Amino acid sequence: MNALADAGITGFYILEYKGMSPQDWKGFSIKEDPKSAIGLIKDYATDAVLVCSVVDEEKTDEIVESVMQALEGEKYTILEVPIRRIIVSHSDYEKERVETWLLEKEVPCFYCGENSVQRIRIDTSKAKIWCTNCGAARYYLIKGVEKEGR
Amino acid sequence: MAVKKWKLKKGANCYNCGDATIHDIEVDEFDIKIRCRDCGFSRYYSFHMVDLPRKCDVD
Repeated sequence: MNALADAGITGFYILEYKGMSPQDWKGFSIKEDPKSAIGLIKDYATDAVLVCSVVDEEKTDEIVESVMQALEGEKYTILEVPIRRIIVSHSDYEKERVETWLLEKEVPCFYCGENSVQRIRIDTSKAKIWCTNCGAARYYLIKGVEKEGR
Repeated sequence: MAVKKWKLKKGANCYNCGDATIHDIEVDEFDIKIRCRDCGFSRYYSFHMVDLPRKCDVD
């Protein structure tokens, strides 16, 4: 992530998955049923991460070089795919994002007692407070509003 | 363990007046109160439920 950020990407998403290389797969013959296929994946596939980002074409070489340097000695595959069209809709998402607040407070947790960061997420209808140490969470629901609360 | 009341501040656009203002947030075990310093619009949340992790028996 640091290498990508240094090379100039502005956003990315990550998918964790399990995968098998062709050389690992070679020679296998499994029964054609979902249970066998899932069992094979659980037993033989290795954990992998897919990192996706859309970047300016001019920056591609620099980004690829940075990633190759950062991942020296690691097993990886880089796929460079041209994007023909991007359509982004922000309508509801932007509204939702603006109306969700995230705050933090470092205090002893009500459950584990450790002095740790308590995260607070508040939106228009509910709120959640959880301990980053033990995970204990309290949930609140909107009770009402007062327009002239001066 | 009793929880002391927390007093927090958050700069955000007010849900009521729409201005970018400071909101005072008070949190305790039972309630959360949020109040816009500009227009006074307040929202109240009450405790609903708690989700506790299982304590380790090995300790």
